[in-house]
Amino acid sequence: MQTQTTTGDYIVEMVGITKRFPGIIANEDVTIRIRKGEIYALLGENGAGKSTLMSMLFGMYEPDEGEIFIRGKKEKITSPSYAASLNIGMVHQHFKLVSNYTIAQNIILGAEPTKKLLGFIPIVDEAKANREIAEISRQYGLEVDPTAVIEDVNVSTRQRVEILKMLYRNAEILIFDEPTAVLTPQEIDSLLGIIRALRDGGKTIILITHKLEEIRQVADRCAILRRGKLIDVRDVPGMDAREMAALMVGHEVQLTAEKSAAKFGDPVLEVSHLVVENEEHFQTVRDVSFTVHAGEIFSIAGVSGNGQTEIADAVAGRLKAKSGTIRLHGQDITNMSIRQRTLAGISYIPEDRQQVGLILDFTLRDNLGLKDYHKEPFQKSGMLNQPVFEENSEKLIDGYDIRSANRGSTMVRSMSGGNQQKAIIGREIEQDASLCIFVQPTRGLDIGAIENIHRQIIAERDKGKAVLLISLELDEVTELSDTIAVIYSGAFGRIAPAEDYTTSMLGEYMMGVAKDNAKNGGGNE
Amino acid sequence: MNSTMINNIIIDGMTFALPLFIMAIGGIFSEKSGITNLALEGLQGMGAFIGALAATLAAAAGVPDDSTRILAFLFAALGGGIYACLHAVLCIKFKANQVISGVVINILAMALTSFLTKAINRTVFGAASDKFILAVSKRITIPGISRIPVLGAFFTNVYPFEFLIIVVAFLAWFVLYKTTFGLRLRACGDNPGAVDAAGGDVAKLRFAGVVVSGALSGIAGMCFAYSILAKFSGDIYMGYGYLSIAGYIFGNWSLLPTLAACLIFGFARSGGYELVKALGMPSAYSDLVMILPYVLTLFLLIFLSKKNQAPKALGEIYDKSKR
Amino acid sequence: MNNGRLYRRIAVAAVLLSLLAGTVLMLILGKNPFLAYYNLLQGSGLAPKAKYAAARSMWTDLSSFIDFWTPMIFAALACAVAMKTGLFNIGISGQMLVAGFLATITIGYSGLSAYLAKPLVILIGMAAGMAVGALIGFLKYRFNINEVVSSIMLNYIAEYIISFFIQTRFVDPVSRQSKNIGAAARLTLQDVAIGGYKFSIPLAFVLAVIACVLVKIMLDRTVLGYELKAVGANRTAAGYAGIRVGRSMIVSMAISGALAGLAGVSYYLGYFASIQPKVLVSTGFDSIAVCLLGSSDPVGILFSSFLIQVIAKGSTYMSSQQGLESEIVSVITGLILLFSACSAFFMGLVVSRKNAKNNTKDLRFGDEAETAPAAVTAAVNRPAEDKGGEEA
Repeated sequence: MQTQTTTGDYIVEMVGITKRFPGIIANEDVTIRIRKGEIYALLGENGAGKSTLMSMLFGMYEPDEGEIFIRGKKEKITSPSYAASLNIGMVHQHFKLVSNYTIAQNIILGAEPTKKLLGFIPIVDEAKANREIAEISRQYGLEVDPTAVIEDVNVSTRQRVEILKMLYRNAEILIFDEPTAVLTPQEIDSLLGIIRALRDGGKTIILITHKLEEIRQVADRCAILRRGKLIDVRDVPGMDAREMAALMVGHEVQLTAEKSAAKFGDPVLEVSHLVVENEEHFQTVRDVSFTVHAGEIFSIAGVSGNGQTEIADAVAGRLKAKSGTIRLHGQDITNMSIRQRTLAGISYIPEDRQQVGLILDFTLRDNLGLKDYHKEPFQKSGMLNQPVFEENSEKLIDGYDIRSANRGSTMVRSMSGGNQQKAIIGREIEQDASLCIFVQPTRGLDIGAIENIHRQIIAERDKGKAVLLISLELDEVTELSDTIAVIYSGAFGRIAPAEDYTTSMLGEYMMGVAKDNAKNGGGNE
Repeated sequence: MNSTMINNIIIDGMTFALPLFIMAIGGIFSEKSGITNLALEGLQGMGAFIGALAATLAAAAGVPDDSTRILAFLFAALGGGIYACLHAVLCIKFKANQVISGVVINILAMALTSFLTKAINRTVFGAASDKFILAVSKRITIPGISRIPVLGAFFTNVYPFEFLIIVVAFLAWFVLYKTTFGLRLRACGDNPGAVDAAGGDVAKLRFAGVVVSGALSGIAGMCFAYSILAKFSGDIYMGYGYLSIAGYIFGNWSLLPTLAACLIFGFARSGGYELVKALGMPSAYSDLVMILPYVLTLFLLIFLSKKNQAPKALGEIYDKSKR
Repeated sequence: MNNGRLYRRIAVAAVLLSLLAGTVLMLILGKNPFLAYYNLLQGSGLAPKAKYAAARSMWTDLSSFIDFWTPMIFAALACAVAMKTGLFNIGISGQMLVAGFLATITIGYSGLSAYLAKPLVILIGMAAGMAVGALIGFLKYRFNINEVVSSIMLNYIAEYIISFFIQTRFVDPVSRQSKNIGAAARLTLQDVAIGGYKFSIPLAFVLAVIACVLVKIMLDRTVLGYELKAVGANRTAAGYAGIRVGRSMIVSMAISGALAGLAGVSYYLGYFASIQPKVLVSTGFDSIAVCLLGSSDPVGILFSSFLIQVIAKGSTYMSSQQGLESEIVSVITGLILLFSACSAFFMGLVVSRKNAKNNTKDLRFGDEAETAPAAVTAAVNRPAEDKGGEEA
C-alpha cells in the first residue's frame, strides 16, 4: 500500500507540550516527532506522563502549552472524535467495550453504517457491518466472530476488537497503551506480530510501555520519559537495555530482588478440593488444592480472570466455597466469617485498593484502623478510643512512609495511588497475621515503590509468615516466589518450586497448552 | 364470575396498564442510558398538570373537545420532557446523587403543581379550586371485533390514548434497538467510556434519554388524568410512577416483559375492584383492594430483584476527566 | 479538612437562593414578599402579631411551634441515620403513620394513667417504626430490593390499610378522622395555663434534643457508628473489613424506623390527637430536605429543621394575611431540597479548586488520574447501586 517515507517526513509532531493537573505537572515541555510508518515506543515508569501525552494526541485532554502538528498541519485536537477524523486511533489500557453488545456492535459504535428502511427511515445496517468487519479481520489476520458477545470472549479477543475498532475507522496512526499488560507471553508474541504487520501495512504505531523487552522486539525508535520530561530519544537497534532502564528510572536499577533461600516451616494454609461458583453457577475455581508453609512465598500465576482472585477471596472469606475445605494451622475455617478469619490470622491486600481495600471518603486515620477498630484498645464497650486510632495512624504513617497532605486527617481519596497502597500494606502487615495474601500488590506503582513492596514481602516471609501472592506480572512472580502454581480456567496446571519453571513454560501453563496433573486434584477439562 | 365482570376487568385493566407501560418505557430509556430515574412519579404529575392546564385554557377558549385532547397530550409530553431536563441537569451537570435527585424532582413536582393549580385557578379563572376539571374523554368501541367473547373486551370502550400508547411503544422499540441513537444510548448504560472513546457524547445521549422518559411519563400522567381521575389534582400522585419502576425492574429493562408486568398490575387492580363490587362490600373495602398492585409489586420484587440485571453503569456518574 | 464549614456555607446559599426564588414568585403574583416572610415568623411565634385571641400571645404561638418542630427533628434524624449508611429512607411518613396508628389504638384509647400511657406510647411508637424500618432493610439485604421502591410501596400499603381500619372502626363521624385520643396518652400537655396564657407543652421536644445528642454520639464515637458510616461510604470495603454489611443495613434502617416512629407519635399523639385517613404527612418527605440541608449531621439538623418548620408553620398565617396560597411554602422547601441536592457538586468544585492551589507541593509526582478533579463527590453522593446483594 504505502511506501516507507523519507527521514524528516513526520506524521505526528508534538512540540513543547506541557500539561498540568491539580497538584501535578504531567508533561513538561515535551517534544516528540514521529515518522510515518514507524513503530515509535514511549518508555517510562507509571506516572512518567506517557499516557497523558498520548491522551492529548487522542483529544481526551488539551495541552496547556505547546502545539500538535499532524501531517505537517497544526491541529487543535479537542475530542476523540476529532482525533478519529484525523485518522488517529487508540487502544486504551482499560478496554472501552460494551459488555452486552456483540463484537460487531462494539466496532461500529459511533461510526455505524446505516441503511434506509422503506427508503427514508435510517436504521443501523448490521449485516453490512458484519461483512466489513470480517473483511478487515482477514486482511490483518485478526480473526474474530463479529456476532459473539463481548462478555463471552477472552481478553486477547477483546484487545483485537479494540484494534479492529481503529482499523474500521481507517486509523493511520495507532496508539497502543500498555497493550501487553493483560496478556500471556504467547499472546504477547502474537500481538507484537500483529503490530509489525500493521506497520508493514503502512500504519504508524505508537507503543506506550514500561517493558524494555517489547521495545527491543518491535520498536524502531524509542522516547524515554521520566517525571513528565522527555529524557532522550534512541534508535532501538543496538540499544543497551541496562542503560535504557537507568534512563527510565533515573538511577541504576537492580533487575532482581535479593532474596535468601527459603526456610519452610509448618503448613499454615491448607486448601483442599476448593470449588467456587459465581452467581451464574459457573465454576470459577475448580477443585484446587495446595498448601502454603510458614516462610514460603507461594504464588499463583495466570492470566487475569482465570480464578486466581476468587481463590484469594475464598481464603479470606469474601466468597463462599461451594465445596472443599480451607484450613489455617489445621483449623477448619471454611465456614468462618471474614472477621473470624482475620482474627484467626489472615491479612489480605486486595487487588482493588480503591474499591475494596480502602474507604476513600474516610480519613487516613480511620482507614488505618479499619481492621482493628473493633478490638481493644481501639474500642472500649462500644465506644471508639480516638487517641489509640491517632497513635496507630502516626506509627504506620512513619513506619511505611505514607505521604499525605495532613497526615492522619487526610481524606484517602486525595492521596496518590502509591500512598494508598502503602497504607493498605502497612495496615495489613501490622496485623501480624500468620498468612498474608497479596493480590497484585504493585499494580500501577512506580519502580521505586515496587522494589520497596517486594522487600517487604520477602521480609514477611523471612519472619516466618506464609505468603500467598497473586500477580499478573510474571517478573514479579518469578522474582519473589518459592513455589509457583499456574492457574488456567479455574484449575491449577502445575504446582512446582519456582526454579523448575522457565518463562516459556509458565506461559504454556497459563494458556492451558501444557498441563500436568501430578499435584493437581484433577478437574481440568 | 360472569362475562361483564371479565369484560370490566379487561377494560379497566388495560386503561391502567397501558399508561404504566408507556411510563416504564420512559424509565427504560433513562436507565438504559445509565441514569437512575426515580423521578417518573413527579414527571407524570408535572406532565398531567401542563396538559390539563392546556386543556382547560383551550376549553375556555372554545376549542372543540377532540382538538383539546390532542393539545392536552402534546403539552403533557412537552411539560414532562421539559421538567425532566431538571433531573438531567442535576444528574449530569451537577453530578447529584441520582436517587436523591429523583426524589427531589418528585417532591418539587407535587409542591409546584398544587401551588400553581391553586394560584392559576385564583388569578386566571377567579376560582378557589385545587383542581382542573377535564371534559370526559370519549371511548371507542370497534364494531365487529368487540363482539368476540373475552377478546372483544380489548376493543371495547377503549380510550383513544390506548392506541396512541401502542404506537408510541412500537416507535420506542424501534428507536432503542434499530437506530444509531438507540445503539449509542444503550451503550451509555453499560460502558459510557466506550461511547466517549467512539466519539459519542455521553452527556447529550443521557440527557436525551432522561428527556424521553419525561415526555413519555407526561403522556402517562395525562392518561391517568383523563381516565382514572377525570381531572388534574394532587390525587395524580398515587405512586404509579413507582409502580412502573417496579414494572421494568420486573421486566428486566426490556420492553415485552415490562408490558407483561404492567398488565399484571392492571388486572390485579381492576380484578380487585370487580371483586369488591361482586361481593357487595361497602366502599371502605375498596381501600383494601387499592393495596393490591403495591403488594404485588413487593412480591414480584422479592422474587426478581436479585436475579435481574440492571444496566451496568446505572447510577454511575460519568466523569470525563477520569477516563 | 474544613468540609463542615463549606457545607454550612452551601446550605446557607441554598436557603437564600430558594427564598430569592420565592420572592420572585410572590412579586409575579403581585404580593409583598417581605411582608409574607415576616408573616412566617409571626405565624411561628418568632415575631409578634398585631393582635391575639384570648389567652394567646407570641409565646403561646412559640410553644405551639416547638410542638410542631419536634416531629421534624425525629424525622430528619431518621433520614440522617439511613443516609449515613448509604440508604435512603423515603418511607418515614409511612413509618410515622404505622407508629401513630398502633400507639393510638393500643394506648390512645386505653384510658391508662398518664404515667403509664405516655412511656408506653413512646415505646410502642419506636417498636412499630423500628419493625417497618427493619423490614425495608431486610428486603434490601436479602432480596436486593431498592429501598426507595419498597418504602414507597409500604407507604401506600400502610396508608390504605390504616385508612380502612380508621374508617370502619375508629372514625369520628363529625371530623371524619380517627377519634381523639385521651389526654393521658398525649405527649403534648394541652392548655397549660401560665400567667393567664394557655400553652401547649411538648414533652417530646426534650426527647428530640436528647435523640440529637445520642445520634451524634452514636455516629461519631461508637463502633456501631463507625460500621454504619463504613457501610455507607463503601459497602465492598466494609465487607472486606469484616463488617456484616447486611446486618448493618438492617440495624441502620431499624434505628431510622424507630426515630421515624418517635416522629409519628409526637405528631399524631402530640401535636395532633387524631389521624386523618388516606393522608401521608409531608413531614416525612420534608425531612429529606431538612436532612440534606443539615448535611445529615444531628447538630445541623437541629438548625435546618428549625428553619424548614418556621416556614411550614407560618404558612397558614401568611396565607390568611396575604391571600397567597400556602403551598408556596412547599415550593420553597422543594427548592431548598433541589439546591441542597447539588451541594456535592459545589463541594467538589470548591475542594478541587482548593486542591489545585494548595497541593502542588504536597503531592508526589505521578498517578495522574487519581488526584484529578471531582475528588469530593463524596458524602451524600454514594452510588445508589443495588447491585449484588452482599453476603453478611
